[in-house]
Amino acid sequence: MKAEILENLKRAVIEYDTEGAASWAKKAVEEGVAPLKALDALTEGIQQIGDAYGRGELWLPDLVGAASAMTTATPILEEEIRRKGMKRQVLGTIVIGTVYGDLHSIGKTIVATLSAAEGFEVIDLGTSVTAEEFMEAIREHKPDILAMSALLTTTAPQQAKVIKSLQEEGFRDKVKVVVGGGAITHDFAKRIGADGYEPTAPMAVELFKTIVR
Amino acid sequence: MLKGFTRNFKPLEILTEEQVEAIHRGALDVLEETGVRIEHKRALRLLEQNGCQVDYDEMRARFPPGLVEECLRRCPSSFRIKARDPEKDLVLGGNTVYFCPFPGMQIADPDTWEPRDATRREYYDGVTILDALDNVHTIWNYTPYFGFEGVPPVMRVPEGVAAQIRHFSKSIGNAGRPAGCEVFDIKMAKALGIDMGGGMAVSAPLTFYGEQVEAAYRHVEAGLVTFAESTPIFGGTGPATIAGSAVSGNAESLAAIVLMQLIKPGTRMWAFHFAFPQDMRGGSPAFGAIGVSLSQVVFSQLWRKYGLPIATLASGPTSSKKIDFQCGYEKAISALTAALSGANLIQLHGAINAELTFHPLQAILDDDIAGMIGRFLEGVAVTDETLAVDLINQVGPIPGFYLDKAHTRKWWKLEQFVPKAADRLTYPEWIAKGKKSALDYAKGRMEEILATHRPIPLTPEQEQAVEDILKEAREYYRKEEMISDEEWAVYMRSLESPNYPYG
Repeated sequence: MKAEILENLKRAVIEYDTEGAASWAKKAVEEGVAPLKALDALTEGIQQIGDAYGRGELWLPDLVGAASAMTTATPILEEEIRRKGMKRQVLGTIVIGTVYGDLHSIGKTIVATLSAAEGFEVIDLGTSVTAEEFMEAIREHKPDILAMSALLTTTAPQQAKVIKSLQEEGFRDKVKVVVGGGAITHDFAKRIGADGYEPTAPMAVELFKTIVR
Repeated sequence: MLKGFTRNFKPLEILTEEQVEAIHRGALDVLEETGVRIEHKRALRLLEQNGCQVDYDEMRARFPPGLVEECLRRCPSSFRIKARDPEKDLVLGGNTVYFCPFPGMQIADPDTWEPRDATRREYYDGVTILDALDNVHTIWNYTPYFGFEGVPPVMRVPEGVAAQIRHFSKSIGNAGRPAGCEVFDIKMAKALGIDMGGGMAVSAPLTFYGEQVEAAYRHVEAGLVTFAESTPIFGGTGPATIAGSAVSGNAESLAAIVLMQLIKPGTRMWAFHFAFPQDMRGGSPAFGAIGVSLSQVVFSQLWRKYGLPIATLASGPTSSKKIDFQCGYEKAISALTAALSGANLIQLHGAINAELTFHPLQAILDDDIAGMIGRFLEGVAVTDETLAVDLINQVGPIPGFYLDKAHTRKWWKLEQFVPKAADRLTYPEWIAKGKKSALDYAKGRMEEILATHRPIPLTPEQEQAVEDILKEAREYYRKEEMISDEEWAVYMRSLESPNYPYG
């Protein structure tokens, strides 16, 4: 039964089945499946999808669909991990948001979803996030990575403002800063002192993995 | 007024009447059932007073179909847009077709194709070239670039609008403005007695952000031209299907129309199409995709039924990073299908690399695309004179020919479009003249325009008014702390140039 549950968790991710993923996660908890093993099964599923995406066999909707299935199941298993006093091994913690004055959310949300599915703990602050709100989240969560999105050339400089706040408060060497969004280029990222930039969501997640490795 | 081009045949239609009706009904259903999130209390109150069901906690307005159809009837089907030079006013609607540039945030280096900020001189020169091009009839955006070097981000649109006013005597509009800068643009428009199109950018799906609604109020209350946008990305911010995104985009546009027509009945409005399939590998819009063309044709068919002038903005950008074959075919196909479908304004000139770069060389090349499409739209004249039966009988078989006939001298120029930056030489001539490509010709044309074209200057009073408003904007943003000390110092130094404002 336990092996069947693990197999079904993996299959739910591969088949983009959000409802199935949640119900098999609940079933795993009920049947006493080790929650860390259940999480591993989900991860195997998302990695399979990610590899197929990397080979050009699957596309962004497949990747995001599988990630959504995975992120539906994960909180149920995480709750069980906490209840048992265990600790989940995460790849790292990411604070993410679209900068102040910018209301574009889709790119940022794809990055957040894919990162969570890959095993990062993601704190998504939403859109139009002020430098102060970013700083608050950094003080509270002490992330490995701060990821900021800006779609507009008018709002891109807000990323520089946040980096300046990090420097002023002595956090700059404690967190890696990755920037993205339609208005951002490699040159701009370099100019404002970010640690990294990638033009697409899957590439950003690969960069996050390199950073924490 | 600028004549533009006249489409002398029926527009391309790819939907049946029943299909058009199904999209319309679908949009009305979405508006009544789900409505639109409108983050602006004053707008929500106005909608509620006029029969919408409003949930203030969710900031959601749901629209009764009768109100939507009533507001559509309030929109004029044709109107004039006033330019600085009255001979260059636009009269929109019907079968008239105009072209305008599509912006790029930065200039593309024509050797490496890498983007960089334009200089002040490059910005003004870019506007001058657009002023000179025959088939650029108006500007509808922060064209050519999003501001220029040395200018803080919040001042980029006002400085750009000032450059447009100074070096472009045709009409001006702007589809999206950041940081409330429409206030200064509107002041410039009022000072010069011109129209300054603008209004509310819609955020798909089904959301109007407060800052944008505020901008719409300012434009509509100032009596300026505005627009209703349809901006879904198929599979991202709208359904993956063109029909589904036509429904969701239409719901957004119709909601915008209701709001504007309630603020001020009879407000002059365009219907703007800015919709793309989503690129399913990287996630950005698929600029130049054939889905853009299909979607434009559907949009035009729908909005001709509603009776508003139609603008297709998505025909301008290309996914290509440089001036090349892909850039040419993506732009030409999108613009041609837009024109055939009955669009009244087509964005085309200058953009390369999605919305990221612009170059005047591309604008010069695109001017020939516009000319070719325009010629196609004019169609084929069939009269006794063009049928030329008497002439054919008179010329007879070989050795008769037509090159020496008065009919030929008169008609070939009316019948043919001669591109200004294309290679049409015979092969020996092509070799003899240095194997020039269209891009080489465009470079020559650009030099010639910059050496000879002088935009109609502002009067000293107009120039003073523009400068006073710029000064007010600079001081306002400085006071609001939206310009940092460092940005301010660089900006002020740039204003000290002996060539200010041109370089």
